[in-house]
Amino acid sequence: MDTKELVVHGIPVSKGIAIGKVFIYHVITPSILESEIEDVETEIERFHGAVAKTKKDLLLLKKRIGEEMPLDLSHFLEAQLMMLDDAKFNSEVVEGIKRERKNCEHIYHKLITTFTGKLLVSKDAYFRERSYDIWDIANRLLRNLLGEEHVTILEAPKGSIVVTNDLPPSEAALINPKQILGVASEMGGVTSHTAIMAKALEIPAVLGVHDLLAKMIEGETIVLDGERGLVIKNPKESRIRNYEVEIERLEEHKRSLIPAAQLPPKTKDGKYIDISANIEFLSEVSSAIRYGAEGVGLFRTEFLYLAKRGLPTEEEQFQIYYSLAKRMKHKTVIIRTFDLGGDKVRAGYREANPFLGWRAIRVCLDDVGFFKTQLRAILRAAVLGNVKVMFPMIATIEELRKAKIILDRTKQDLTREKVEFGADLAVGIMVETPSAALMSEHLARECDFFSIGSNDLTQYTLAVDRGNERIHRLFDHFHPAVLKLVAMVADAAHKYNIMVGVCGEIASDILGLPLLVGLGVDELSMTPSVIPEAKYILRGIKVSDAVEIARQCLTLRTPLEVRRFLSRSIAKTFPDLLTAPSV
Amino acid sequence: MINTTIIIKNEYGLHALPASRFVKAADKFQCDVRLVKDGIEVDGKSIMGILTLACEKGSQVELKVDGPDEKAALEALGKILEGADVGH
Repeated sequence: MDTKELVVHGIPVSKGIAIGKVFIYHVITPSILESEIEDVETEIERFHGAVAKTKKDLLLLKKRIGEEMPLDLSHFLEAQLMMLDDAKFNSEVVEGIKRERKNCEHIYHKLITTFTGKLLVSKDAYFRERSYDIWDIANRLLRNLLGEEHVTILEAPKGSIVVTNDLPPSEAALINPKQILGVASEMGGVTSHTAIMAKALEIPAVLGVHDLLAKMIEGETIVLDGERGLVIKNPKESRIRNYEVEIERLEEHKRSLIPAAQLPPKTKDGKYIDISANIEFLSEVSSAIRYGAEGVGLFRTEFLYLAKRGLPTEEEQFQIYYSLAKRMKHKTVIIRTFDLGGDKVRAGYREANPFLGWRAIRVCLDDVGFFKTQLRAILRAAVLGNVKVMFPMIATIEELRKAKIILDRTKQDLTREKVEFGADLAVGIMVETPSAALMSEHLARECDFFSIGSNDLTQYTLAVDRGNERIHRLFDHFHPAVLKLVAMVADAAHKYNIMVGVCGEIASDILGLPLLVGLGVDELSMTPSVIPEAKYILRGIKVSDAVEIARQCLTLRTPLEVRRFLSRSIAKTFPDLLTAPSV
Repeated sequence: MINTTIIIKNEYGLHALPASRFVKAADKFQCDVRLVKDGIEVDGKSIMGILTLACEKGSQVELKVDGPDEKAALEALGKILEGADVGH
């Protein structure tokens, strides 16, 4: 075996360093061969055996999820178990084996294809999507028949680093940070769901690693360096020791910033900037509070849909939104309505240009029932008085108006049904399309706040998909074109006296903090673990200096010029800053 | 044999959860349970069968029961189809 050290490069999307064992997640559809059989009885026994084995696997999985995961996947598994137990269907398989005298993989595969084919022609997207759930269980059974393993990351042992070609969002939702130390993937970029998950769970992730699976062996020890974007196979003894020292140093740095976390987020000259947390899971609330978040500036709700692989009910959503609002007490919680589409597609739905397609508010405006269910849950949770709602990817003023009309109708429904809700719920929009930024003066008159989504704003302004490894280097949220739009949005918000925040990646990049403050941003919502450092920097700068930094940045021509300028000015004010700002 | 026709009111139709609830309930009865939609008839005790009917919201489904306990079955299963037992 080759034991030479091998260093491969990828995009660092979530900071931290892990030393752990490779757990390979690579799902390929099993290939089915057709063959004649001699002994029908043995073949039928093989089928029943595979059903029993698959049931046992699922029950085991269900037990583990029940114990370890706070997600409502058990209903999904329950339905899958019933599909396996379907006597009618199974007897059709047995009849097929007897009649055609062919191997059971072939018969079973053929029947499943027929069954799911009926679903695929349904007018209703929900039923079309369900065919993938059936395939999920069918492939599990087929793998058992073929003696192939079926892997889900729930099965990763403690201390694993997930190594994958691509992690579907539904699988990424299952990452348990107690078991999994980090993720390395061939696909995906900084804004992918895997990246968001890894950051939320504070585990390192390196994505976009070319030809990764071919290089890695299950169970071998690797180093995952989320600071520099490296995956290291067969690490030398000295390398491991150096990394162990660095891990300790990073921990120490984190601890040293904790005292700053609970101080008020004010500049040296006394201007208050709301420093809030981006979160996706209730389990993150305690760390957000511990890190000193002033509120939740972005609560992503997609995982409710993705983890469940289906539609969460009003009650399920209400319970989550309500306990979030309750646990944040008097602090503001901004709930963003479903941002599905793009790379977070509804299962089974495909289109040529997903980021320019049917996503976010467009999906909700088309599927009013789906949208209203979520709005009802948010309105009901707003009785505590600290909840705000935010619509993603507003590109036109008509979309905002339509969304507000649906919100009003939902309020009327609740009033009629005598259900308690927060009537004066504030309504904001994500400004993440160039059109919304350019029209922000008009939009500001029709909503209560803005939150700039810098990731999508950058992607749409520069026409760069950051998930595409050939061009991801062209993506930079410090591009002056993006900064000009941010400045325009901030000015429009202040002209009409509404709050403007930033909840994209740029807000978690401390290099940009003085710049954003200087551009007039009132709120920065970021990955919770970055908050202590952000507060530390904020408390060391003056608004007048920040305004000057912003003014100068707007005169520059390239993102590299902006980065160099920002690095220099940060180094001037904070010569002792331990971690070098990311470049 | 007795039957009844029901319009699915559930926002998301007869999806996996209500379908599995329906099958579990149907299994408790001795009688045959059949569902018919758009001329296609499936076994009401088979979740795969029910799912492939793809009963969206607003679709019209005929419930047919045949056997000794058909009366009780019609009542109990009809309620599930109407979504009258629990929310979604």
